[in-house]
Amino acid sequence: MNNTMTIWTRKFMTNRLLQWKQMATDVLHPGKATVPKTEVPGKLVKMYKTTPHVTFVFGFRTHFGGGKTTGFGVIYDSLDYAKKNEPKHRLSRYGLYQKKNTSRK
Amino acid sequence: MAAPEVLESDLSSAMALLKNLQEQVMAVTAHIQALTKKVQARAYPTEKGLSLLEVKDQLLLMYLMDLSHLILNKASGGSLQRHAAVLRLVEMRTVLEKLRPLDQKLKYQIDKLIKTAVTGSLSENDPLRFKPHPSSMMSKLSSEDEEDEAEKGQSGASGKKSANGAVKKYVPPRLVPVHYDETEAEREKKRLERAKKRALSSSVIRELKEQYSDAPEEIRDARHPHVTRQSQEDQHRINYEESMMVRLSVSKREKGRRKRASVMSSQLHSLTHFSDISALTGGTPHLDEDQNPVKKRKKVPKKGRKKKGFRRRR
Repeated sequence: MNNTMTIWTRKFMTNRLLQWKQMATDVLHPGKATVPKTEVPGKLVKMYKTTPHVTFVFGFRTHFGGGKTTGFGVIYDSLDYAKKNEPKHRLSRYGLYQKKNTSRK
Repeated sequence: MAAPEVLESDLSSAMALLKNLQEQVMAVTAHIQALTKKVQARAYPTEKGLSLLEVKDQLLLMYLMDLSHLILNKASGGSLQRHAAVLRLVEMRTVLEKLRPLDQKLKYQIDKLIKTAVTGSLSENDPLRFKPHPSSMMSKLSSEDEEDEAEKGQSGASGKKSANGAVKKYVPPRLVPVHYDETEAEREKKRLERAKKRALSSSVIRELKEQYSDAPEEIRDARHPHVTRQSQEDQHRINYEESMMVRLSVSKREKGRRKRASVMSSQLHSLTHFSDISALTGGTPHLDEDQNPVKKRKKVPKKGRKKKGFRRRR
């Protein structure tokens, strides 16, 4: 089985309102398990020649039968915009935000 | 010569025409004199009127003046050739003709204005009658507010105007409500029509059509030859998710429907099960691919419909 992972991006759009470039990413991984989220931004960075700390990916769903996973990718114009517009749970996945565990009582 | 005969036969008709003319001229003169008196008494103020009509008035008057000048000329034996008045008449005539489509466009407005002027109020089915009248509501609200202010002594919402004199009750416009009168027979008929439409576009009928029609065979780049409702819904969901960049949650019902659809399509079940064309043949309806049973209308008892502790499952 080949060990290649191919990424296609579809529905690419530059969104000026949120200062990002959004796209739907198709990851092809025949014969392998679903590619973890941490590997995909690296490939996107190479494709779009950005920096890794402004690329975020989320929402990966593998199609029935395996081999293909579809998710969403987002590339911000700058880290400031990323910190402003990105939801906190996604920022914490990349270590840019830490949730305060305050006690309930 | 033929000339005196022609003259004689024409004489009587000419006399009659001249007499007619004289009577008409007298009537017109009287009318015009009455109008002139009224205009001089300023009974017809036209400052706030439609400017198009004013232009038309002036043009017609000028036309009349030129025309009467020419008639005078001709009656006293002059020639009309290359008379300046003729050119003016032609020009005015062209302008009047060009104004005619404008007149057509304004016809509705003018008619409505005339009707309003005559009757003094809007007609029954004038859509302007249905616009809201906040002024009839305003006095009620402001009068309430004033009472509150007097009682509590607070400064209420600013910007409220003082109440008008009489408190007018708000009367909503009277639109004719249509009664819902669909009988069982009509519902049956509608259902039958829908089933017929569905049957006409089923694969059996389509293949028959292709067999017997003379039209060339079309081969289309079909995404999926067997489009079911579930597959269409899935496609819709996928399109939404990708354009909105969100993932939608799937409810239990939706999961069940998907599972049923996948099970049905993965078996060879659908190979021999064609869609229901009983609507065209007049037979009994059977289940279609989506496995939706034919809806029967049951009389639901009104009482005791809601059980205690019943939770609606979505």
